[in-house]
Amino acid sequence: MNMDKPIRRVAIFALLLFFGLMAQVNYVQGSQAEDLRTDARNSRQYSDVFNNPRGQISTGGVVLVSSTPTNKDNPKYGRTYKEGPVFAPVTGYFNGNASQLERAYNSLLSGKDKRVTRQHWFDAFIGKKPDGANLELTIDPRAQRTAYEALKNQTSAGRRGGAVVLDAKTGALKVAASWPSFDPNEVAPQTGTKGVKRLEELDQGKGVIKPLIDNALSQTFPPGSSFKALVAALGMEKLGLDESSSVNTGPLLLPESNRPLPNSHDSGQCAGTAPLKGAFAESCNTSFGRLALDLGIQQLSEGSEPYGFGKRVFVEPDFPAAVSDIPVSFTGADGKTVQTGRDGTARSGIGQENVRSTPLQMAMVAAAIVNDGKIMNPYLVQRARAKDQSVLYNADPKEYGQAMKADTAEQLRGMMRAVIEVGTAKNLQGRNIAGKTGTAEQGGGNPNARWFVGFAPVENPRYAFAVMTEGPNDGATNAGPVAAAIMAQVLKK
Amino acid sequence: MPSLGEQIRAHLPYQRRNAASLALLVFAMVLTLSAFAEVGLARDGKIPTALFGYGGALVVLAMAAYFVQAKFTPYADPLLLPLAVALNGLGLAMIYRLDLDTSHDRRVAAAAGKKLLPDAADAPSQLMWTFVGIVLFVAAVAIMRDTDKTDAPLSFTPKTAQRYTYLIGLTAIILLMLPIVPGIGREVNGARVWIFIGPFSVQPGEFAKLLLVVFFAGYLVNKRQAMSLIGKKIGPVSLPRGRDLGPILVIWFFCLGVLFMQKDLGTALLYFGLFISMLYIATQRVSWVMIGVGLLAAGVFIATLLPFMGHVNQRIDIWQNPKPYFDGGCLMESGKVVPVNPDTEIYKKWDAKGDPSPGFSACVSELGGEYSDSAQLMKGLFSLGQGGVLGTGLGQGEPWRTPLSFSDFIFDSMGEELGLTGLMALLLMYALIVQRGMKTAVAARDPFLKLFAGGVSFVLALQVFVIVGGVTKLIPLTGLTTPFLSQGGSSLMANWILIAILVRMSHDARKPAPQAIQDEGMTQIVSTR
Repeated sequence: MNMDKPIRRVAIFALLLFFGLMAQVNYVQGSQAEDLRTDARNSRQYSDVFNNPRGQISTGGVVLVSSTPTNKDNPKYGRTYKEGPVFAPVTGYFNGNASQLERAYNSLLSGKDKRVTRQHWFDAFIGKKPDGANLELTIDPRAQRTAYEALKNQTSAGRRGGAVVLDAKTGALKVAASWPSFDPNEVAPQTGTKGVKRLEELDQGKGVIKPLIDNALSQTFPPGSSFKALVAALGMEKLGLDESSSVNTGPLLLPESNRPLPNSHDSGQCAGTAPLKGAFAESCNTSFGRLALDLGIQQLSEGSEPYGFGKRVFVEPDFPAAVSDIPVSFTGADGKTVQTGRDGTARSGIGQENVRSTPLQMAMVAAAIVNDGKIMNPYLVQRARAKDQSVLYNADPKEYGQAMKADTAEQLRGMMRAVIEVGTAKNLQGRNIAGKTGTAEQGGGNPNARWFVGFAPVENPRYAFAVMTEGPNDGATNAGPVAAAIMAQVLKK
Repeated sequence: MPSLGEQIRAHLPYQRRNAASLALLVFAMVLTLSAFAEVGLARDGKIPTALFGYGGALVVLAMAAYFVQAKFTPYADPLLLPLAVALNGLGLAMIYRLDLDTSHDRRVAAAAGKKLLPDAADAPSQLMWTFVGIVLFVAAVAIMRDTDKTDAPLSFTPKTAQRYTYLIGLTAIILLMLPIVPGIGREVNGARVWIFIGPFSVQPGEFAKLLLVVFFAGYLVNKRQAMSLIGKKIGPVSLPRGRDLGPILVIWFFCLGVLFMQKDLGTALLYFGLFISMLYIATQRVSWVMIGVGLLAAGVFIATLLPFMGHVNQRIDIWQNPKPYFDGGCLMESGKVVPVNPDTEIYKKWDAKGDPSPGFSACVSELGGEYSDSAQLMKGLFSLGQGGVLGTGLGQGEPWRTPLSFSDFIFDSMGEELGLTGLMALLLMYALIVQRGMKTAVAARDPFLKLFAGGVSFVLALQVFVIVGGVTKLIPLTGLTTPFLSQGGSSLMANWILIAILVRMSHDARKPAPQAIQDEGMTQIVSTR
C-alpha cells in the first residue's frame, strides 16, 4: 500500500491552509484597511497628521494658511498663518487638535475625506496619501483687516469686540472679526511643547477674555437697543402695527416692582407719543418695553426663533455658532431657574435682562430686513478644490427661512435709515450705512456692550452687519464708526 | 501498478538542477541586499554600511551552503535553499530595520552620550544565529549519506533515525517538558515555552517538533499495515482497535497537557495536527482524522470551561471580538470582561490611592498583562491596515508600534512595509517550500522517508498557518515563531536543519536509480513496496 495518495491530499490541504491565509490577508489589507486606519484605538492616525501637508485656506486671492515642511521628523509639516490674529476667528488653530474651520473641514484639509479619496482611489491603492484639499473662503480680506484694526481701537483695554458682515442675498460671511484674538502661529505643530503650553494659557484666558473663543460667532452679549429692530418687527407682525402707528413713549413703571424703565432722554419723540418710526429712531425704551409686555415673553421668545434665536446656527457643517436666546426661564450660574416675569419681559424688549446674542445673530436679523424678510443660511467656505484644481465642493446658498414679511422688512429699512437721519446715530450721516444703535448695560462694574446693527449701502442695500464693542459711552459713538469703516471697505470695488 | 512517484520518475527523469538553484540563490541575495539598501536609504538617508556587513556575511554563507549542496547532494531540489535564504534574508533585513541601535540617528545620539531606551530587536544576534543555522545546514547536508549507503560503517542517513524511534520520541517529550521544570523554565509573555541556561535562552519546542516527526514516522511505519487493515466497521465509519487507538489517546492527552501546563493553544494544535496528518498519510483512514479532530475539539471545549484556563478562554474571546479588550481589558473568572479601556467609563488603572485597580492587577498577575489583552493583536492589524496593498516601503512605516514586532508579529511588520503584495509573495515562498517538501515525500522510495518528508513539510505549513493566522485574526492568536523570519536562534537552527533534511531527502529521491547490471542471470529483485 503506497502513501502517495494521502500525501497528495495532505499537500492539497496544506495549500488550502495557505489559501486561507492569503484570503485573510487580502481581506485585512484590502477591504478592512480603511476601517483599521481610522479606528479610534489606532494611534497612528494621530501622529500621522503631521506627516502630510494639509490643504491651504485662502480668501480673496490671499493665502491665509499653508503647510510648510520643517525638515524634521516630527512634525514633518508645520502650519503657517498669515496675519494670524486677524483671521483666527475664521481659520482657527491646528496642532493635532483644531478649532473653527481647521476643525470643521479637517477631513478635506487632511485629504482623508471620501470626496478626495474617491477621486484618488488609485493613490490609495498604491499607498500614496492623497493631498489635502484647499479651501476658498467668502471672507473679504481687506474688510476683515479693517474690522480687526477698528475693533482694536474702539474696545476698552481688557474687554471684547466682534463684528460680522453678511451678504444678505447669499448668506456669505464677508467679515467675522474678533478682538482680542490670538496668533495660531504660536500654537502650530512646529512650536512643539512651547506651543502646547501657550495653547493652555490661551484656553485659560484672563478675566472675560478667552482668546480661543471668538467674539463674532462664538460669544454672546446683551444686544441692548439694537434688539428693538426685532421687537419692532414682531410688533408689526403680531400686533398689527406699522411704522406710522402711534405708540406711547412716555414714562413706564415696571408692572411688578413699580420702578421706572427709563428712557435715555424724555424729549423729542420720547416725550409722550410718537409714531413707531420715531420711537425706533430715537430708541425710546418705554415704547419697546410696552411692546414686549403686549407681546408677552412667550411670543417674544417664539417669535425670534425664525431668526435663529434659541438654537444653534450652523455656519458650516460641524461649525456651529453660539446659541443666542431670549429665555422664557433662565438658569443662573447658581443653578437656580427663574421664570422671566413681567418686569423681565419689559426689560427683554430692550435687549436687556437675560437676552443674549452673538454678533452673527444680530447680523442675521439685519439680513432679514435687507432681504425682504428672507434669511439666507450664513456660510464661510465658498469652495474646496483638490490639489489638481478640480472642485470638490461649491457653496450653494440655502434659505434659512422667511423671518418676516417683505412689507415689514421694507418699513424697517426706512426706520433704520431714520436712525441716521433724525435719530440716535446722526453722527454717521454721509457714511452710506443705516442701522440701529444699542447700548446694553452689563452690570457688575462691567462696561457697556455697544452695538450698531444695520445694512449698507443705504439705497438698494445688500450687506447686513452687526458690530459690538465693550467700553464706556454708547453704540452710536463707539460701534457705529467701526461699522462705517468696515462697510466702506466692503463696498469699495 | 507503479506508484505515482515511480510514474513521474519514469516519464521525467530528474536532472541536476544546480544552475537553476544558483540563479535563484543569486536572486534571493539580490532581494535581501536590496532590502538592506532600502532600509538604509529610507531610514538613515544613505546606503547602510550593514549592506556590506550583514549582506556580505549572508552572501558568503549562502554561497558556502550552495557549494556544499552542489557537491554532496547534486540532485537536490533546486528551490529549497534559495527560498530559505530569501526568507531568512528578508527576516534579517526587517529585524535590522526594527533594531533602532543600527540606525544612524541613534548611533550619533549614543556617541553624544545621550541615554537611550533599549529596544528588544537585536539584529547582530540574529545574524549570528543565521550563521549558526546555515553552518548546521552545511554540516547536516555534508554528514548525511545517501540512504542506499545505510549499511556502510559510520554512515548517517535520514533513515538512521528510524532505528532509534522510541529514544527520539522520549527525547522529544523531555524537551517539551523542560520549560515546565522549575529553575530553568520560566513564563514569558503568558506562555511557558522557554528554558534559560546561563546566558542562552532556548525554545526546546522548536527542536522537539522535528524529533516528533521522526518519532511519528518511525512508529507509524511499523504499525500502519495493522492500523489501516484491522478494525471494526460501524456503518461508514471504521473504528480502530483499542490497542491502535491507545497511541492516539496518549498523544491527545499529551497535547492537552501541553495546552494546560504551558497555556499554549497554538503548540498543542501544532503537535496534534502533525500527528493526525501523519496518521492519515500512514493509514489513509479519514475516520481516524475525524476521531482525532473530534477529540481535540472536545479537549479545547473542556479547557474553555475550566476556570484556571482563563488564558485560553480570553484568547478565543479576543479573537471573536477584540475591541473591549484593548489596552488592558481582561476576562475574569466570573466570565465578565473587565474593560481597562480608555473608551469606557471604568477606565481606571489606578484607584484613588494610586494602587492598581483590582481588575488591572488581576489582569497582570493572572493573565500576563500587556500580552494578555487585545492591544497587541489590534496594533498588529493596524500595522497591516497601514500597509494596504503596496505597503509603506521598507524603513518608511512604523511597525515598531506593535509589541514584539520583530518576533511573533514580524509578519504584520512585513505587511506594513511590504504591503499585501509582499505578504502574498512571502506566503507563496512558504507554500513553495511545503509543496517541494511534499513532492520530495511523493518521490521518496522508502515508506519511512515518505512519512518523514511529508511530516516535516506539513509541520512547517501548520506552523505558518497557526502564527500567521493568529496575527491576521484568522484564528485565535498564539505565540509561535514565524519560520525563518522571527528573531530567535532556536527557530532558525531547527528550520535550517529541516531544510537540510529535505535537501538531503530530495537528492536521494531524485537521483537516478543505480543502473541495473544487465548480466544478472537469474537474480530477480523483489520490491516490498
